[in-house]
Formats: sequence, structure tokens, C-alpha cells
Amino acid sequence: MTQIRRALFISRKDIESYYSKPPLVTWGLLFPAVLILAVYLKDPATYLAVAPGIIGMTLLFGNTSMAAIVVTFEKRSGTMQRLLLTPVTHRTIVLGKAASAALYGIATSLILTLAIVFLLGMRFVSPLVFAAALILGAATFSLIGIIASVLVREVFEAMTLMNFFRFPILFVSGVFVPVASLPAWLKPLAFLSPLTHVVELIRFSLTGTCYFPSPWIPALVICAFLVASSLIADAAFRRAATR
Amino acid sequence: MPNVNGKFIAKISGLTKNYGTLTALSDVTFSVERGELFGYLGPNGAGKTTTINILCGLLQRDAGTVNLCGLDIDQSPVSIKQRIGVVPEESNLYPELTCRRNLEYLAELYGLPRAVRRTRTEELLAAFDLSDRATTPFRALSRGMKRRLTVAAALVHSPEVLFLDEPTSGLDVPSARDLRSMIQDANRRGTTIFLTTHNLAEAESLCHRILILVKGRVVSQGTADEIRRRAEKAKSLSVAFSRAAPEKSLTDECPAILSASLAEGYYRLEVADLHAALDQLLAFSRRQGIRILEITTVTPTLEDAFVAILNERSQAGDAHP
Repeated sequence: MTQIRRALFISRKDIESYYSKPPLVTWGLLFPAVLILAVYLKDPATYLAVAPGIIGMTLLFGNTSMAAIVVTFEKRSGTMQRLLLTPVTHRTIVLGKAASAALYGIATSLILTLAIVFLLGMRFVSPLVFAAALILGAATFSLIGIIASVLVREVFEAMTLMNFFRFPILFVSGVFVPVASLPAWLKPLAFLSPLTHVVELIRFSLTGTCYFPSPWIPALVICAFLVASSLIADAAFRRAATR
Repeated sequence: MPNVNGKFIAKISGLTKNYGTLTALSDVTFSVERGELFGYLGPNGAGKTTTINILCGLLQRDAGTVNLCGLDIDQSPVSIKQRIGVVPEESNLYPELTCRRNLEYLAELYGLPRAVRRTRTEELLAAFDLSDRATTPFRALSRGMKRRLTVAAALVHSPEVLFLDEPTSGLDVPSARDLRSMIQDANRRGTTIFLTTHNLAEAESLCHRILILVKGRVVSQGTADEIRRRAEKAKSLSVAFSRAAPEKSLTDECPAILSASLAEGYYRLEVADLHAALDQLLAFSRRQGIRILEITTVTPTLEDAFVAILNERSQAGDAHP
């Protein structure tokens, strides 16, 4: 309980220091908002096909970037060492850092989604599934960002490393091209991408349909990704923190 | 259960750390008594920061045991962190947070209750003369103020042991003096202080006991007086002659004089045997027809002792590069 409280203090401090800055929120929203608008202006009837992908992409980019930037920045500035000197476990630090990055991702994705709802008239079929997709996706992507941050020394290195992972998976995860339309040889890659499952879960919450026969499948796969990324982030952080 | 009544608050045994083929620490063994101000001295690269990083749980050791505040570092790393405070070599508080928020945040992480957090923060800001800077972000402080706030932050949870890594490094004279006084105040209030420094005058004036580390090995430990005495194999004389005498002839004609150097009219003579050197010096002055105006024995400073120890290690082929 004490360690969970301390993780909350770490998250609150990070939100205060980094995530509540208006330029950061704007940065996280601007690109996906423009993308949705462009699709809508081209053909108002089809924007709903790409909206789940773009919401998922916002979550992926926002969370992986911010978690990686914050941890790498704190490593460079020495404040991570300060945190490691306090009576918090490595798991607590990972939890605190991931939770604040996840909240940022959820907030930006939610603002984007609400904007689409109010401006373009999008409807929710299942708000609960939508919430689950955002929470599970945000947590998984934040932990992936933390894993990247412990592998590098500089912020730009973290971004480069993340882009090697993020850009290729954009094309196989049903963001712009539906999974059903992918060639057979690319489908295994799509199933290995956590973004695919987040996007399909969001798609189900907005349209009532998804690529998988049941929304439980992507939900369970994201849970598995979450557990795996949590274990890897914990081990990687522990290893990096006590060389 | 920690052994809180023991005489020693830190017991370090056989501490060894290698970075690849480089041995940073080799079989380092020492103890720190509860309530003492312990100086951990050494030239740059001796292994001082490596030691602190291991003791604070930031670095894994290759061998040895570490017991702090009655707890084993492998079994209770988090409990040890709750009992120690650390001032790293670089002031590393959160640049964007104000002085007050920095202290409050650390108080939160150390588990201080809300009401205590507020009181303790204000107390420390006042004690470290930073009350008027309470709302200033850390990044906007001067170097001296940053250092003071970093020490205050390390004391926020009233630790049993405070580790200070080169605390006055890079500070101007008044700031360094203020900080030394604050360190002594913390020690008087019962905090055990573990101070690493290469400022020998600082160690001599502050520390109850000192350990000298050279190239990862303990070469001497004890009080400043004990270390000086151990290094007094070569005693020193200060001599003024009625006229200049060639330094080389002094060492050539007086075998008991190991080295001679002239500064401000006085010859500083390092001698192997005091009585023999005095006899030889009198004979030398008669032969040269010069009078001895003044002769005094020189008490070596800790710095002299430190240099003597380094030279000794150098001659033994185990010197700091």
C-alpha cells in the first residue's frame, strides 16, 4: 500500500511537471485531429473506418513517446538517480512513470474522441469497451516506452528506437488498411502487434464490429501484452538502475 | 530487525567492484560509528563515489558485505534507503519544481504524514536560509543555494546517516563555509555523516575519523592525528641560513636529509632521522661557513601525510596515475 501511494506521488509529480503543460497536450492532439479532419473532408461517409485506427495511433504515439522522453530526460538530468535514492522499489518507479504517461495518453485520446463525437456525430456502441481499450492500450504502450527508455541514453535515441517499432506496425495494425484486407503473409505480423488489438477493440466500441469474432479476443491479447511489457519493463529498469 | 543499539552504524567488509578489467574497489573494509563524522578521502578516481553508490543501492558490488543501520543491503534495500540521506556530487533535484515543492515531494516519497511534511519543509527552508526562495524553481537558484537545498532534501526524513559526496566542490568560499557549518549542525543533532572529499583541509577540520582510499584500496584510516603520525616516517625541518646554500650540496653532504626545497628564505628539509640530520646540518654549516639563523621541526599537515601516502604507494608501484 505504501509503495502504491508512492507510485501515485510519482505520477502526480510527473503530471505536474510534464503532462499538464498546454503545448504538450496540443502536440499530442494536433496531428491526429488534422488527419481525421482530412479523411472526413475527403469523404464524410468513411471517416468512421479510420477513426478507431487514428485514436489507437494517438494512444500509441502519445504514450510511447512521453514515457520514453520523461524517463530518458530524468536519467540525463540526474533526477532519476534522486528518485532511486528514495525508499521506492524499482517496480514502484515503473508503475508511477507508466501511470502518468498512460493518463496523458488516455486524456489526449479521449479529447480527440469527444471532439469527433461532438463535431462529426460519431456514436459509441459500447463505452465500457472503449474505456477498457484506452486503459489497457495506454498502460501497455507506456510500459513499451519505458522499456525503450532504459535501453538508450539520449532522448533522440529513444525516439529513433521507438520509430523503428511504431511506424512499421502502423501499416499492419488496421490503422489505415483494415486487417481483413492485408495479404495473408502480413496477417501474422498484424496479430503480433499490440496496436492491432487496441484498434480492433476501439473499432468494436464504436461500430459494434471488429476483425475478430469476439471483442474478448483482442481484450485478452492486450492483457497478455500488458503483463509481458510490465515484466520486461520491470526487469529492464531494475537491470539499468543497478548496473 | 535492525540492530539499532550497535556501536557501528555502517559495517563494510571486503567490498570489491570491477568495471571490466579495471578494479574500482578492492577488498575495502571499514566501519563507521554511530554519531561520528567520517571522512572518506582519496584522489580523483580512487573509488569514493563508487563506494557511496554501492552503499546507497545504486550500484551492484562484485564482492563483500554491506550492513547499514543494522540492516543487510541485500535483504533490506528499501528499509536502508528509508534510514539514509544522500547528497550526490551533482545537485540533482527537480529543476522545474520550486524549492518548497522539491522538499514536499521528497517528503511524500519518504512517507512523511501530510502535516509533518509541511512543518518539516518549512523548518528545513529556514534552517538552510532558503525561506525567501521557497517559491523559486530549483533551476533558478545559484550553485550554492542548489547545494544547500540538496543537503536539505537529503535531511527531509531525518536520516540516521547522511552521505555527502564532495558537498563543497565548486562552491565559493562563503558558500562552502556555510555548508560546512550546516553539516556540523546536522552531526551535532545526532546524524552520522559519511563525507567524501578530496579537500583535505575540509576533512581535517570536520571529520572525527578519516579513511584514505587510493586506487580502490584502503591505505590508511584513523583520526587525522593518527594518519599524520603514521605518515611521519620522514620528518620535516624548516631552516634559515645566513646566506643561500645550494640545495644539492645539502642532500649530498647530509645523508640524513632526503630532500631540500627553498621557499621564501626557508629550506624545507625532509629527513629520515632527526638527530642525525641535525648533527649533519651543524657540520655542514661549519664547513660552508654559514650560520644557522633559525631551525624548527615542521608538524606535517594532513595534506603532507596524504602526499606522503600517495608517494609511498607510487614507489610501491600501486599509485594513482
